[in-house]
Amino acid sequence: MNLESTVRGLHPLEIKVLLNFKGSEEITKNDLMERLSYNEGQCNQAFSWLTSKNLLKEKSRTGRIFYELTELGIKYQKEGTPEENILKLLSQEGPLTISEITKRLNLENRDVGSAYGKLSKEGLLSMSEKKEVFISCDNFEEKLKDLRNLLNKLFKSGRVPEESLREEETEILKSLSRKRSSSRGVFKILEREDIIYTITEAGIKAKELLKAGGITGEEIGAVTPEILKNGEWKNKRFRSYNINIPPVRVLLGRKNPYGEFLEKLKDKLSSLGFEEFDGPLVETEFWNSDALYMPQFHSARDIHDVYYVNNPSHAKEIEQPYLDQVAASHENGWKTGSRGWEYKFDRDFTRKLILRSHGTVLSAKTLTHAKVPGKYFGVVRCFRYDKVDATHLADFYQTEGIVLGENVNLKTLLGLLKMFAEEVAGAKEVRYVPGYFPFTEPSVEVHIKHPVLGWFELGGSGIFRPEVTEPLGIKVPVLAWGLGIDRMALMSLGLEDLRELFSNDIEQVRLRRRK
Amino acid sequence: MPKIEITENLLTHFAGRKFSEKELEDIAVVAKAEIDGRNEEEGLIKIELNDTNRPDLWSTPGLARQFRIFLNDKEYCYNFFSGSKETKEYGSRVIKVDPELKKIRPFITAFQADGHEVDEPQLLDLIQSQEKLCWNFGRKRSSIAMGIYRADLINFPVHFRAADPDLTGFIPLGEEKKMSLREITKKHPKGVEFGWIVAPFNKYPYLEDNSGNTLSFPPVINSAHLGAVKVGDSSLFIELTGTDLNSLLLAASIAACDLSDAGFTIKPVKVEYPYETSYGRDIVTPYYFQKPVVLDIDYSNKLLGEDLTIEETAGYIKKMGNSIAVEDKKIILNPPPYRNDFMHPVDIVEEIMIGRGMNSFKPVPPEDFTMGKLSSTEEFSRRVRDIMVGLGYQEMIYNYLGSKHEFVEKMNIDSDDIIEIKNPMTENFEILRNSILPNLLNSESVSGNALYPHRIFEIGKIAVIDSRENYGTSTKNYLSLLLSDREAGFNEANSHISAVFFYLSMDYSLKEAEDPRFITGRCANIIFNGEVIGISGEISPQILENWGIEMPCTGVEINLDFLIRS
Repeated sequence: MNLESTVRGLHPLEIKVLLNFKGSEEITKNDLMERLSYNEGQCNQAFSWLTSKNLLKEKSRTGRIFYELTELGIKYQKEGTPEENILKLLSQEGPLTISEITKRLNLENRDVGSAYGKLSKEGLLSMSEKKEVFISCDNFEEKLKDLRNLLNKLFKSGRVPEESLREEETEILKSLSRKRSSSRGVFKILEREDIIYTITEAGIKAKELLKAGGITGEEIGAVTPEILKNGEWKNKRFRSYNINIPPVRVLLGRKNPYGEFLEKLKDKLSSLGFEEFDGPLVETEFWNSDALYMPQFHSARDIHDVYYVNNPSHAKEIEQPYLDQVAASHENGWKTGSRGWEYKFDRDFTRKLILRSHGTVLSAKTLTHAKVPGKYFGVVRCFRYDKVDATHLADFYQTEGIVLGENVNLKTLLGLLKMFAEEVAGAKEVRYVPGYFPFTEPSVEVHIKHPVLGWFELGGSGIFRPEVTEPLGIKVPVLAWGLGIDRMALMSLGLEDLRELFSNDIEQVRLRRRK
Repeated sequence: MPKIEITENLLTHFAGRKFSEKELEDIAVVAKAEIDGRNEEEGLIKIELNDTNRPDLWSTPGLARQFRIFLNDKEYCYNFFSGSKETKEYGSRVIKVDPELKKIRPFITAFQADGHEVDEPQLLDLIQSQEKLCWNFGRKRSSIAMGIYRADLINFPVHFRAADPDLTGFIPLGEEKKMSLREITKKHPKGVEFGWIVAPFNKYPYLEDNSGNTLSFPPVINSAHLGAVKVGDSSLFIELTGTDLNSLLLAASIAACDLSDAGFTIKPVKVEYPYETSYGRDIVTPYYFQKPVVLDIDYSNKLLGEDLTIEETAGYIKKMGNSIAVEDKKIILNPPPYRNDFMHPVDIVEEIMIGRGMNSFKPVPPEDFTMGKLSSTEEFSRRVRDIMVGLGYQEMIYNYLGSKHEFVEKMNIDSDDIIEIKNPMTENFEILRNSILPNLLNSESVSGNALYPHRIFEIGKIAVIDSRENYGTSTKNYLSLLLSDREAGFNEANSHISAVFFYLSMDYSLKEAEDPRFITGRCANIIFNGEVIGISGEISPQILENWGIEMPCTGVEINLDFLIRS
């Protein structure tokens, strides 16, 4: 950081130090306290900030010893020491037993005991045959004078440096100071270092810059309602901030970026004239496959391709006349002009409950109440009996839909696919390839050249077979389509593994961004 | 979808020409095939066949035939097919069927192929296409199983019998000792794999020749003697047994056409049934059973969006290898003997599309005006989601499948209304979720290191058993949220619920509730229009312990359907 921006970012505590001292001057904490009225905390902040910015440097440090009163010391100063109080009591009342003293002075036994021990050793007290304590010296006040003076002196000036005390005083202080293990000391010994600072070359230049800029350290820090009200800001400047401090992280409410991707897809499809459909997660074999003219013996309908519901295992009934009409179209083509699959349709199996394995279920169900012309879509959760890995999920979203119209045909199907390629995937190049789906004929796959992903299969489509549409009451051609949007979703979120779309990890989801 | 691996040499041999990589990709479209990979060094090509109704394409000769027809514009002619009007010479080649098989495995078709020495690539291709045919088209051999034998060792007639599984035995392929049919289903690897097909029956299907030599135990395993075909054999007997006669006739026709293309002479076999079939009691196979399909070109033009003449249309259909007759505006198609996928005239429309080429159809933008619209669930969910985001919550999206351990045991609830999967693949996916709270707690349990507070939610579907419904289950739209922090508590959550309802312009009230998932006295039902639509409370420390969570959590769950409907 250059000096200008350092100077701009200086705190008033730092500014005042720089402005108030000369280049060669030695600066100590006491100086700041005296000349700038800083408290100890402010002194420490100013020194630590200025030295870290290399505007001050440490010249020397010396160790010093100070004494101050403990809480007990303060109490003794105010209420008298046990010794003082015992002598005072005895001088007023005459001889008393230890327990009487303890009671009268409201002291603890051991305090009275140790005070008596000390005073009798010094010859100030003695004990009579009646176990009564009496004063055995005339000038007892003189003997206690030194301690009293020290208590008063420390009480008055707080912290007293060792060098300002006499040797006898130091000895008393040491003998009555708190030992590490005891909490009952009267005095506390403090070891402090006195550090002397001087202003550096950079500091001198910073000071010049401050002067040139007219910065005094009296600038306003915070804009408050009070100064707005009283107008105090009018003749003052505001302190500049260091705008390069890294911002603090904010936790915000957010949509899931995969959810946003799906939302955008739904908006796009509805903007293209499609109406959204929705339905239950549990479906019947009838709607999941039979209504789509997938024969009940088809290899894709083995137990290992869909999830069956354990209990209840079957729907109560399948809606009529669809059941009869679909069953007939499987058995003999019904009125569709088809020969059918030529097998006996199983009406028990068709009621079996499964987790829907593709969105086309909802396309089929929509046919029973669809408008003509009509366009429908769904982005719906589907379930597959699949081993889960980076490219396969057991439960995932599928995007599917249908277009009904008197005049829809293969060429409008291609036009629809082209529209999806351009509008949904942003592709310029499109290739159509014949495909195969049991429920559409003809069937077309659309491959696109995605601006980032290159060529891939965007989706499958076709015209619903008459064996699908007519039993469900639809006489017009129906285009059916499905889009594979997973790869685009991963790309848009900067992911490579489909499982991450459904991540449990809060931090991962919080930090995920769309491209 | 079947995937096959073929050798480049064999493809070149059958197609009569070489294909560059690009040429192969282009021509593959004609067979709805995709080139999946190519091993240049070994000359192998992996191909995926998309059309599950075209088993004729699942072999090198079959695929090459489709390419050759398309490129040379010439249909194929096979002269070994019998039919309803004509029966081909079968000599002494007869199979007699046991009446008891009617309920076990009623049908068999067969033919002999002579006059060509089979080499290794052809033998491997034959075995591969047989396996694909029987696995994908024959439902894992249950409806079609094929056996290939050395015809020169067979003494006709062959007997297709229902045999006692304990008293009948032979030396199966891959073994040295005689085993009973039952032993084979228990001990032989193929028996273990396919024994389930015959398991429900007292007697098992069994094929032997007139001298009592075993051909096979269909659909399980061939005999080690007659059923061991090697490179260099030049007289083969092929039979197919199964449950659906049309599928068997088709499969036999496909195999016969493939072997004919390879240079064999196909010799018909007569099957004598003691019961009626769709084609009589005696059927000489290969047998042409397909029926003509009639297309009106107005229909094809309407679906294709074109105005093709009858000549043009006929030309494109023929280019795909179909033989046709034209009558006025109608085209009568007789399917090739190796195909049976023309169920409806619409199937011919696709032939026209491929025959003419996809690129000849110009995309037309959709013309009809329709109104786009989001579902009411989606519209409402978005309103709620916006409020939740405004309250500082991160939206999560979870899988709907889960384990009983997480959704029942860790939640201390009973599993009465939970939808279980009958055939779970793993215990991670054995139920459909009945609540979103376990998902949210799972997130919390793995996110202890993420900066607090945690405020997460999901709007999604759950499903429960519901006997009032036709499906016995019902799917509901839920909002669930979880707060996790030192101070996360009931009152904060209630402030958030209050905000959600305020901005939805709706009212709610709370009523004290008891629920094992929440702390007693700090849990309430959410009441809307007099009905309980949700629950809110501080998650019980026992539940938190079950999940290994060491931070207080408060959860809320609301059934949005009540609000959407109101």
